[in-house]
Amino acid sequence: METLLNPSKTPFLFVPKTHFFKPSLLHPSFNPRPHTPFTRRPLSVAIICKLKTSQGRKNDGKNNNISKKILLSDSAPELSNEEGKAKAESGGGAWRVIRKLPRKVLSVLSNLPLAIGEMFTIAALMALGTAIDQGEAPEYYFQKYPEDNPVLGFFTWRWVLTLGFDHMFSSPIFLGTLILLGTSLMACTYTTQIPLVKVARRWSFLQSADSIRKQEFSDTLPRASVKDLGVILMGAGYEVFLKGPSLYAFKGLAGRFAPIGVHLAMLLIMGGATLSATGSFRGSVTVPQGLNFVMGDVLGPTGFLSTPTDAFNTEVHVNRFYMDYYDSGEVSQFHTDLSLFDMNGKELMRKTLSVNDPLRYGGITIYQTDWSFSALQILKDDEGPFNLAMAPLTVNGDKKLFGTFLPVGDTDSPNVKGISMLARDLQSIVLYDKQGKFAGVRRPNSKLPIEIDGTKIIIVDAIGSSGLDLKTDPGVPTVYAGFGALMLTTCISFLSHSQIWALQDGTTVFVGGKTNRAKAEFPDEMNYLLDQVPEIVESPISKQPGSIGA
Amino acid sequence: MIFSTLEHILTHISFSVVSIVITIHFLNLFLLVDEVVGLYDSSEKGMIVTFFCITGLLVTRWVYSGHFPLSDLYESLIFLSWGFSLIHMVSYFKLKIKKRKNNLSAITAPSAIFTQGFATSGLLTKMHQSAILAPALQSQWLMMHVSMMVLGYAALLCGSLLSVALLVITFRKAIKIIGKNNNLLNQSFSFGEIQYMNERSNVLLNTYFLSSKNYYRYQLTQQLDRWSYRIISLGFIFLTIGILSGAVWANEAWGSYWNWDPKETWAFITWTVFAIYLHTRTNKNFEGVNSALVASMGFLIIWICYFGVNLLGIGLHSYGSFTLTSN
Repeated sequence: METLLNPSKTPFLFVPKTHFFKPSLLHPSFNPRPHTPFTRRPLSVAIICKLKTSQGRKNDGKNNNISKKILLSDSAPELSNEEGKAKAESGGGAWRVIRKLPRKVLSVLSNLPLAIGEMFTIAALMALGTAIDQGEAPEYYFQKYPEDNPVLGFFTWRWVLTLGFDHMFSSPIFLGTLILLGTSLMACTYTTQIPLVKVARRWSFLQSADSIRKQEFSDTLPRASVKDLGVILMGAGYEVFLKGPSLYAFKGLAGRFAPIGVHLAMLLIMGGATLSATGSFRGSVTVPQGLNFVMGDVLGPTGFLSTPTDAFNTEVHVNRFYMDYYDSGEVSQFHTDLSLFDMNGKELMRKTLSVNDPLRYGGITIYQTDWSFSALQILKDDEGPFNLAMAPLTVNGDKKLFGTFLPVGDTDSPNVKGISMLARDLQSIVLYDKQGKFAGVRRPNSKLPIEIDGTKIIIVDAIGSSGLDLKTDPGVPTVYAGFGALMLTTCISFLSHSQIWALQDGTTVFVGGKTNRAKAEFPDEMNYLLDQVPEIVESPISKQPGSIGA
Repeated sequence: MIFSTLEHILTHISFSVVSIVITIHFLNLFLLVDEVVGLYDSSEKGMIVTFFCITGLLVTRWVYSGHFPLSDLYESLIFLSWGFSLIHMVSYFKLKIKKRKNNLSAITAPSAIFTQGFATSGLLTKMHQSAILAPALQSQWLMMHVSMMVLGYAALLCGSLLSVALLVITFRKAIKIIGKNNNLLNQSFSFGEIQYMNERSNVLLNTYFLSSKNYYRYQLTQQLDRWSYRIISLGFIFLTIGILSGAVWANEAWGSYWNWDPKETWAFITWTVFAIYLHTRTNKNFEGVNSALVASMGFLIIWICYFGVNLLGIGLHSYGSFTLTSN
């Protein structure tokens, strides 16, 4: 009760706007009713505050306060009606509808079931995209989903090709749903999450024991003091606000802000991905050892925002391509030694690439992704060296196989016989004679000759070629920033925002609290804290004269 | 040589302990043995032994092969069962501090057991040898990406199973009507509830048995619901970090952070479904049964993502593929 008469402790602190108006509100005529539930007060105060500002500070008379309150609340609708009447005839009705349209669209977009439906649709479309083979020629779909024998009774190739399911992840349906989800994200953040933050940041004190008892968790401490409770809560990491007999404490407010961060991070990722899709350059090339290529010749644009840079005129020279092997013979790593030259022939950079270690220059990145066998250098009967081109042979599985053929004898006759050489990697070559029988295995650089059908072969060198992928992508920094933000904000949103209210009524303290995420552990935590509140044995009334006297 | 025998020993120990623990659990459930408490303690000790065995197994493989033990399907299965036993340990110790019985052990322990059993059984013997790492996998990112993904799967699977349990308990009456002959199931659940009620209040039990049965069932479903939400939130964080670190790794290794590879796409579908779960919980009306339905769908989707895609054996993640025919 003392707080209502004491001007320095007016209950208007919670609404941030009002502390500007404090002096004008300390009016003796202001007479709030003592036991109104707390929620009604803020509205009446706010209206009076607004009244003051709109009128300037001219009318400070007692009666004007109340009368103005009545007047303006009646007159406000009239004004808008007059306004409406004035404009209604002249197409103002349409103007009002258009002005209301963004609001209506926003409220439709930020509807939660709509967002859930969109997410389901995207998940279903993605699942369909993995079930249907992507990127094949139309004949493949004619064969796989024939019209005379439709899959599941209705699914034919017409569905696949008209709806764009053969390139699902760039089809209009999928991209359209993604865009819709993006707009829903933005609408939801604006309309629902930001106001939630404003509400959560307010300090709201509960003034009646009933409203405290209605909380999810509530308890009563028969002989305790609210101040002791405040100290214990502070020790447990809560931010405590004490105002007379009532207390408000909270913890983990970051957990309320973090979901907004999650939505913003997702929007950032979507924006960055759009930039990548429309503004990057890609290309891949297989370069034999010793040859070179110009970057600009290899890179092709992916979208309408792609613009080439100066770095595209750089020439790349493959100095050497080599592979590392395990003891068992399996490939362990491939390396390419590259040099970059500019148009004048000056060497700009030299680096050895390997699979998880790309080369970056001028915004362009070169990745080592593949390898191939270019040519086999041999000496035949000490003549040469001859370069025999190696061709890839199809084998089941992902192992590679290359082969070449050295004709022996009459090269003009239709049935040319010769020596075949096969290799799985650059390490060893397997040789077969004219009848196709196994002749031997030789390693390049061993200089060991082999005699097959009267011809002496020495394998001098196995020349590999490097499979390189080039790429420039302007969206990558944005996407990485979005990734980092998403990881961080998802972790933070794990925190639970707990709020505790307490009210001292005589010697009893009523405690109530709620939390938004850790609902299972909250009662235990609260019980643990409340157990620590000391019990007051003497009555507080007998204590008071002593404290006032001192 | 020492390491391979050590690995062998640890595998066999963990498998035997795991079989014993599961036998004890079933005895607990069906035979209503009187020394319930004593056996319960020993099953908990068995789970602790299993945890240390699997940890030892993983460390041994790491030292022996020189790379982090997560390069093929067998190793990731061992890691998954390690994840389950880790969750079991954490929830056991957390609830032990508060002196409450660990109801979650009914979910986490059997999951660890079955995964470990499947991994060490005869179905995948030809993969037990630690294989050498392909060039694309020789990166520091391997540790972070795959471990986060598998831990995320473990947590999400636990949470979804809790939601499935919630659904079963809520609709037990309907199931009872459908499966009248299924006495075993009814017995096991009623036993579980009786145990729960003993925990909560001994006094009320005798007098208010029938009417409080519904109340205690409500309490049980509430607790399952809340634990499921917390565990799924944790699993969602791990899954997010795993997917994003995989995307960054792909960008470093192959030049693009998202290739719509089947495994990537299904991981994204899993992420989307659990995001739907978290969003349904914001609305008070959808809490409880609806969100549990979404989480149950998530359970199936995780298995498709983890196992089903590997059966196809195509795409960038083909290291995890295997053929079902045992050799």
